[in-house]
Order: sequence, then structure tokens, then C-alpha cells
Amino acid sequence: MSIQVQNVSKRFGTFEALNDVCVDIAAGELVALLGPSGSGKTTLLRVIAGLEAPDAGRVLVDGEDTTHKRVQDRNVGFVFQHYALFRHMTIFENVAFGLRVRPRALRPSKEAIADKVHSLLKLVQLDWLAQRYPHQLSGGQRQRIALARALAIEPKVLLLDEPFGALDAKVRRELRRWLRRLHDEIQLTSVFVTHDQEEALEVSDRVVVVNRGKIEQAGEPGYVYDNPASPFVYEFLGNVNLFEGRISRGMAQVSGRKLAAPEHLEVEDALATAYVRPHDIDVAVQSSAHAVAATVDHAVTLGSVVRLELSRRDTGDVVEVEIPRDRYEGLKIAHGNVVWLTPRRARFFLKETPTAIAS
Amino acid sequence: MAAVLAPPLGISSPARRIAWVPVILVALALAYLTLFLFVPLFAVFFEALRKGWAAYGRAITDPDAWSAMRLTLLAALIAVPANLVFGVAAAWAIAKFDFHGKSVLTTLIDLPFSVSPVVSGLIYVLIFGLQGWFGPWLADHDLKVIFAVPGIVLATMFVTFPFVARELIPLMQAQGREEEEAAVLLGANAWQLLWRVTLPNVKWGLLYGVILCNARAMGEFGAVSVVSGHVRGLTNTLPLHIEILYNEYQFAAAFACASLLALLALVTLAAKAWVERKLP
Repeated sequence: MSIQVQNVSKRFGTFEALNDVCVDIAAGELVALLGPSGSGKTTLLRVIAGLEAPDAGRVLVDGEDTTHKRVQDRNVGFVFQHYALFRHMTIFENVAFGLRVRPRALRPSKEAIADKVHSLLKLVQLDWLAQRYPHQLSGGQRQRIALARALAIEPKVLLLDEPFGALDAKVRRELRRWLRRLHDEIQLTSVFVTHDQEEALEVSDRVVVVNRGKIEQAGEPGYVYDNPASPFVYEFLGNVNLFEGRISRGMAQVSGRKLAAPEHLEVEDALATAYVRPHDIDVAVQSSAHAVAATVDHAVTLGSVVRLELSRRDTGDVVEVEIPRDRYEGLKIAHGNVVWLTPRRARFFLKETPTAIAS
Repeated sequence: MAAVLAPPLGISSPARRIAWVPVILVALALAYLTLFLFVPLFAVFFEALRKGWAAYGRAITDPDAWSAMRLTLLAALIAVPANLVFGVAAAWAIAKFDFHGKSVLTTLIDLPFSVSPVVSGLIYVLIFGLQGWFGPWLADHDLKVIFAVPGIVLATMFVTFPFVARELIPLMQAQGREEEEAAVLLGANAWQLLWRVTLPNVKWGLLYGVILCNARAMGEFGAVSVVSGHVRGLTNTLPLHIEILYNEYQFAAAFACASLLALLALVTLAAKAWVERKLP
């Protein structure tokens, strides 16, 4: 079912957690709310769940305004970062909880509950743990149980708050692939909060980047990665190098190379910062007039690419470059060598008020 | 004991030299315990049985002693459940919800700990006594609070007020609100939340608080002494009865009754130790 967040604002004392936020989530989508800590992403998730009441705005689920609905009646599946399993109940009882607390008229029979719980435990591949207690399980197992418990009430939407945040790197990677597969299987509208850009890009259908209580950008992971709407998104999604440039009528001069800046066609003449991904930089051993000279500090081979860490000879700034492995081997460079860098592709954000608009 | 307190690794001590520091410390601790704990405890039972088992039996089956015991039990039987309900309610509110005046409530709960018991008793005399605020009204309706059972129960409740709440608040705060939030999201109403999630999570802490509360309720002297009026067979609790016997030079009888309270203390201690092992 779809979720619409309309003009939601929320303050905690003087802290503005959410500022006029609007998000549309289509039915069946898996959406990542991505942002640094304190950006308001968890607050947004809790507002959708009903655990926080917004100061302004409203939340629609499946077209129905749920802003003032009781949490109990919202039928939302929620998974906490620290699992929040009931510590004094067995795994079976944890998963059965949502069915057992239903009013008598709506409560399934004992057998039906047992069937449902076992099928959910099978779904999360932990059927054999039914009689254990939460503290006897590993973090990854607990999180899968938390998911089974949330699914037991057949929720309209599934909300996950940093679901992999407390797990170690390997388990986290396994679990997020598993979550992706599970989502493809059950097609439940799902929203998960994360501060890990890799996780957001890998798992989600759509990424919503949140910063300081506002939505910076929303879109498909690949699109957002390639076309960040703001310097914040650029720096938050992946590594980036900054170069100085000058823009004039849709063309930019950066390190002696002319690059297209189609988003600044109307700008007459302005200083701009070029945001360049590590894999969009050319490395040469021959000097050229305007290229940036840099010293190789470090080279790491990561499978088919080599990541070079260099320092610019003019400013001393660190530049990160990724080149294919065979290209690196062809260059025959080593620690301490000087190379010349030219950005191949960049996105520009103006540093000063453009003269065309100012005059 | 000395072996347990041996110097930590890395500090070399020659094999046969006596480590004086640990020996002295252990001796001091034992002397202290003996002087202030074991000797008095022994004295209570020794004095109680000085005139033989028959005299002991007579002292604790005396009608006045019986009525004191009944009153003590009655006061505890009312005060402990009342504070149990109040303690759970207050701890739940303070640990799981945000509201205005929360810090005021937390301070108020501690009030009985910071006020002298005699003063707590006097408060009730000032409110319900003949010269107190409600004194004339109560007298008109032929109700007695001060120098009667209700006063004793009230004073006991006041003094034991913080025990359950104080025990539960830090425990509930440490457990956080997430399990409650999870339960509500799964559809639980407030009643189901309390019985299925909150209380099971704090049951050992709760029992611990109840045990301490009960020990204090049965042993309270100061506040109860002020409101009791010391009417034998009517408004004397066990601690007050012991004082009267002692003042009348009936030492064996006084210690016999005191030994009952000492036994209660030992049972409480054992129960407390058992519950503490269950607490996380």
C-alpha cells in the first residue's frame, strides 16, 4: 500500500527534526531513507509508524489519513535497530504476540497461530529456534526474528529503523541481500532507514536523501548517484574530489580541460566547484599545461580496479582516483611518483553569485 | 580469606613472608562485623532464652504480644499491596512517559526517605489529630484516625512509600521503551502491555522492592510510635510492644518479641539474596 507524507514538521524543543517534509512512496516499493545521524530520518520513520505525532502535516497510508489514528490500529510492521524482542518470551511467543493480543473475535485459533508462527519462522529460516530465548540468539538471528514478528500481523507497510546497524559487516551484507530477496517475494511496501550509502544503493528501489530535517533528493539509486542534486548529496553518496573551475555559458574550464556544464547555461562567468568521482579522473605520466600535478601516496588493488591516493602538489589536498587495473599496470607508477590528473566528467556547483543574474 | 586477598599478580612477595596488610584488613572487617552485627544478634536470642523456653513461649503467646503481631501484620498487609500498586504506576509513568512535573514527582517519591519518621508521624497528627485540620470533622462523624489502626496504617504506608518505585524506576529506565513500542505497534492495548511486557520484565526487581518494603513496614518504629497512642492490645505494633516491655524491665519478654523481628530480618535477608541472584 502506498504511503504519502505531506508537509510534515516536527520539533523536539528547539531542535527542528523535520521541516515541511513531503515523500511519496508507491505500493510495493522498497525505499531507503538515507542521511547522516541527526538528519531526521528516524523521526520521519517514527512519524509514519505513529510513534511520534507530527507538529504539522499528515501521513496517508493507502490514501487514508492515519495522522490521528492510534498506533495499535495502524497495522504497521516495525523493526527496531536493537531488535526490541520481548526478552522474557521464547522466539515462538515473540512471533505469536501480535496475534495473541488481538481482540477475541479477531484472534485466530491456537492451531492457526502455531501454523502461522512456524511458517513465518520458516520464511526467515529459523524454524529450529522456536523454543529459544532472544538472548541465546546472535544479532543477525534476532533481527530476522524481529522481522518475522513484524510480519505476523500482516502489516500494510513495513518500516525498518537501521535494521542492520548493530550487526558486523559480513552479517550485514548477507542480511541485506536476503532482505532484498524477501521483499521481491512478498512485495510489501517497505521503508528502511540507514546512514550507510552502500546499503541504500544496493537494497532499495528508490533512495530518499535526508539532511537537517529536509529531503535533499529522491530517486532511483543509480540516478541519484550519477546526478546528485546538491553538494551534500554528492559528498554523502560515494567518494568525491573537489576541483576549482570557472563556468561560462554551459562550459567549464577545469585543470585545462573544457567540460560540459549543461545545468549552468545561463551563467555568464562564475567560479564553481567541480565535484568529480574517483573513477572520472584521467591519470597521465606526461605533464600537460593545465593538468593538476599530484604525488602518488598509496595504491590499493581492489579486484579489477586500483584505488590511488594522491596529494596535489599545489594545495596539498588529497585526491582519490580509481583506474582499471591494466591501465594502472601500463602506467608503471609507484609511491612517490608525480602524475598529472584531468577530470573527465564533473558536476558543478557555483561558488559565487553568477554575474549574469547579478547584473 | 588471606589467600583471597593476596596481592595481585606482578607484585612479588617472598614465599613465606606474611602479607600483613591483607591480614590486618580482614581482621578489622571481622572485628567490625562481630561487634556491630553478630554480637547484637546473638545477644537478642541469648537474652530472649535467658529464662528458658517456657518463659520465651509465654512471652510470645501473651495476648498483648499476639495483638501487636496481628496489628503489625495488618499494617504490612495493607501498606505493602498499596505501595506495590502505587510503585508500579509511578515507576511506569516516570520511566516510560514524558510529562510536565516528572522531576517533581520523582522528588516527592523520595520525600519519606528524607524526612525523619517522627516528623512523618507528626504530619498525620497535625492533619487528623483532635487539634488538626480534619480533627473536628472526624470527631463529629465518630471516626478515629490518630491513636487508632487507620493512623498506624497511614504512617506505615507513608514511610514505606518509596521502596517499590525506587527499585523499579532505574530498572525500567535501563530497559528503555522499545519493547513497549514494539508491543503497541503489534496491536497490544495498555492492559496487555502492562501484563504481558512491562511487568514480566521487572518481576524480580518488583519482588525485591516488595521484600524491602515489607521488612520496613513490619519494623517501623518512629512514625508509628507518634500516631499509635500505645494502647495495649489495641494500637501497639510489635516494635512498640517491645519498647513497652523493655521500659517495664521485662527484659526476657522484650527480647523474646525482638527475636521474632530478628528472625523476620534473617528471612528477609535470605529472600533478598535469592532474588538478587535472579536480577540481571
